[in-house]
Amino acid sequence: MHMHDLQPSAPVTPGKEPFDAIVVGSGAAGGMAAFQLAQAGIKVLLLEAGRMLDPQKEYKTMEWPYKDLRRHRLPVGEFALQAAEYRTLDRPYGLTPEMQKYKKVMAYSGNHFTKDWIVNEKEHPITGTPYAWVRARVLGGKTNLWGRVSLRFSDLDLKAKSHDGFGEDWPISYADISPYYDTVDTLLGITGTKEGIPHLPDGLFQRPLKLNCGEVQVQRAIAKMGRKLIAGRAGVTTDGVLNNKYRARCMGRGRCGRGCDLNAAFHSPAALIFPARDTGNLVVRTDSVVSEVLVDDRTNKATGVRVIDKNTKEVMDFRGRIVILAASCLESTRLLLNSKSATRANGTANSSGVVGHYFCEHVMGPGASGILPSRVGTAPTNDDGRPQSTYIVRFRNVTDKHPDFIRGYGFQGASGAAEFPANAAETPGFGAAFKKTVRANYPARVNYGGFGEVLARKENRVFLDPEVKDAWGIPVLKFDYTFSDNEKKMAADMADTAEEMLRAAGATDIVVRRNILTEGWSIHEMGTARMGTDPKTSVTNSFGQTHDIRNLFVVDGSIFVSASCQNPTWMIMALCWRAMDYVKEQMRTGNL
Amino acid sequence: MNEMNDPGAGLSRRSLLKAVGTSVGTIAMLPVLSDEGVLAFEALQRTKAAPKLKALTPAQYATVDALTEAIIPTDAHSPGARAARVADYIDLLLSESDAALQAAWTSGLAALDAAAVAAHKVPFVKLQAAQVEALLTAISANEAQPTTPVEQFFRSAKDATIRGYYTSEIGIQQDLQYKGNQYLPEFVGCLTEDGKDCPHCGQKAQAKA
Ligand SMILES: Cc1cc2nc3c(=O)[nH]c(=O)nc-3n(C[C@H](O)[C@H](O)[C@H](O)COP(=O)(O)OP(=O)(O)OC[C@H]3O[C@@H](n4cnc5c(N)ncnc54)[C@H](O)[C@@H]3O)c2cc1C
Ligand code: SF4
Repeated sequence: MHMHDLQPSAPVTPGKEPFDAIVVGSGAAGGMAAFQLAQAGIKVLLLEAGRMLDPQKEYKTMEWPYKDLRRHRLPVGEFALQAAEYRTLDRPYGLTPEMQKYKKVMAYSGNHFTKDWIVNEKEHPITGTPYAWVRARVLGGKTNLWGRVSLRFSDLDLKAKSHDGFGEDWPISYADISPYYDTVDTLLGITGTKEGIPHLPDGLFQRPLKLNCGEVQVQRAIAKMGRKLIAGRAGVTTDGVLNNKYRARCMGRGRCGRGCDLNAAFHSPAALIFPARDTGNLVVRTDSVVSEVLVDDRTNKATGVRVIDKNTKEVMDFRGRIVILAASCLESTRLLLNSKSATRANGTANSSGVVGHYFCEHVMGPGASGILPSRVGTAPTNDDGRPQSTYIVRFRNVTDKHPDFIRGYGFQGASGAAEFPANAAETPGFGAAFKKTVRANYPARVNYGGFGEVLARKENRVFLDPEVKDAWGIPVLKFDYTFSDNEKKMAADMADTAEEMLRAAGATDIVVRRNILTEGWSIHEMGTARMGTDPKTSVTNSFGQTHDIRNLFVVDGSIFVSASCQNPTWMIMALCWRAMDYVKEQMRTGNL
Repeated sequence: MNEMNDPGAGLSRRSLLKAVGTSVGTIAMLPVLSDEGVLAFEALQRTKAAPKLKALTPAQYATVDALTEAIIPTDAHSPGARAARVADYIDLLLSESDAALQAAWTSGLAALDAAAVAAHKVPFVKLQAAQVEALLTAISANEAQPTTPVEQFFRSAKDATIRGYYTSEIGIQQDLQYKGNQYLPEFVGCLTEDGKDCPHCGQKAQAKA
């Protein structure tokens, strides 16, 4: 496959005629924004803080551990924070004495494959309550390593307040967004099975991923409990997409989280940015750290953005007719907060004061693993060759009402063999018997882990640290964020039901995980610049257009009103497409 | 090392999830290799040369080699930890770890020898197969909640052996006969998925609900 020319990035300097649109960030949100506008003939400048990426070189999809002599360990001098360290180390992570010996300290998802994309906590500190904030600064952002689970939100999520009284309803309903889910599905490709579940709407699915024997066994066992296990829904094209020459259909190697070198998995660079660049309407400037949105306080319009060159630290201003923030939830929020003037003392588009508040995500950790006796000793199959395995659909607070908590959770998981036998460490003993048991149980392992909705509560928030700055002199975020009783009770139930389902499926050697992982672990930040109809309690309208400044848009997870328990990326892109249709229309009619 | 659960994070998320549930602080901390270490290990494997020890003394190396082979031995099905050169791997990892971890292994190996001497009057490498079996059975009895130094050392050594062996070509290909990391145009799942009775698992076809 021929990859796009990978010039470091366009040597754009300020002073050219203003661009029609400036997009900040090149992940799922920025990629979609740039793609939609460039396709429509609008001249776009995309500013990305990270460097250019060559997927063909950097996605090491097929590498065996023994071909890398470190066996995929990090090199000396690089360190990925471990779960316990988020709670035990003093913040800022990476600046404490224990961490001084490392050149690079990363969030926990830094590994052999992702280490050149994940930021160095030493350059990007955060302060406040513990938070495992995973940031990828490179073209495509976190979409280069994401997990691909792609689930639609439904009216049970969008109108959750009407359902249980907590929080706010979204200003849109499923009917408003479902056409955009459809177009995202068609443009990018998604695999799944039609199930007709009202609270997990079907998409326009390509060839589904099959369940293996163990998974069918769990599926049947839990069906008797009224619960549904379905084939994974993944942002992966299993049949190929005709609209994009950079992508091929999935060939089932299963190492998509390292970056899929066929680009069958959705990654923003090949799926959106390279095609957008091919239109001739998109200029990508990498190594461009945006520090603030420039606003003319007399006209109350955004005039562009200030950029600090990542390498030279040169400061320059770029002008545009509209500015679109897509730097990821918390980074866009930080930009709003850091864009201040005498009349905007607490940040831009923040007359409501809610920027940074209503921070929400998913709670993770609880789950269970076990061994399915019927699969013990069977011949291994290529179970981890699928780009996604299975999903257990939310069953709490759908039609019934749980006494302990509101909202719900779903489970991701699988049965079967994987390259590294996770059952080995759980197998007691040593010697020939140990070795044989590991081998026999290796195709029989089953494991499910929950993702639960964290309530969007006003008191959960981020704000600018008054003292600490990043390596470019930009104030960093301070977190004031914890799980509430609702999440803790939900998490306890997640562990109970995971165990109960594995028991029902006849699993043995069940290990139940009850610990909640550090805040942030789910990598699904949402809600810090939420949309709404009331400018007093929300930051943007349903098109991501800020109430305060007409030509300033926010299009990432920050505009979510509530988190649901579904993974956010497909929703981010559906909302972004809808917002860009609105932008195009407003530009055409001269309103922008 | 796959992303069967959400994690695209693969390696690290998986192993961390594990670490949370079990023992953080044992061998979870085996360090990483420098470029020089990597090259040395590569040469050593390629040429099947005698080990060029960097951290362990020859006597300690012999003990690690015997211990790892006792944990994952050669059997009729596949070669074991010795053939996969797990001890060499551990030596290189230790050579680049901090002093505390090196000291933990040094004292752990000494504790293992002391236990061997106490039970059978000879150091670990001199034990007969049945004696190894008896000694490790005793030492591993508490492996889920190791308390004494020798029990803790066993847990660390076992974790390191698991990691070294099941990331080796012998472990992945010959022992586990892993089927992945291939181009697989279509996943053959349970045949009930295609509406048939499944000959693999015996489950019957069902009408989709
Ligand atoms: C391991 C892992 C697994 C995941 N699994 C799933 C999953 O299964 N399903 C799912 O839906 N989601 C998943 N996610 C989350 C998913 O990756 C994110 O929801 C998605 O990438 C968000 O897109 P984004 O564009 O908002 O942010 P990002 O993808 O993070 O992109 C933001 C971009 O903005 C750039 N940027 C930031 N600040 C600035 C600045 N000041 N100036 C210029 N540029 C800036 C960054 O460098 C980055 O490239 C996972 C994430 C990870 C890391
Ligand atoms: S399984 Fe499919 S999506 Fe994943 S890496 Fe392989 S080809 Fe790409």
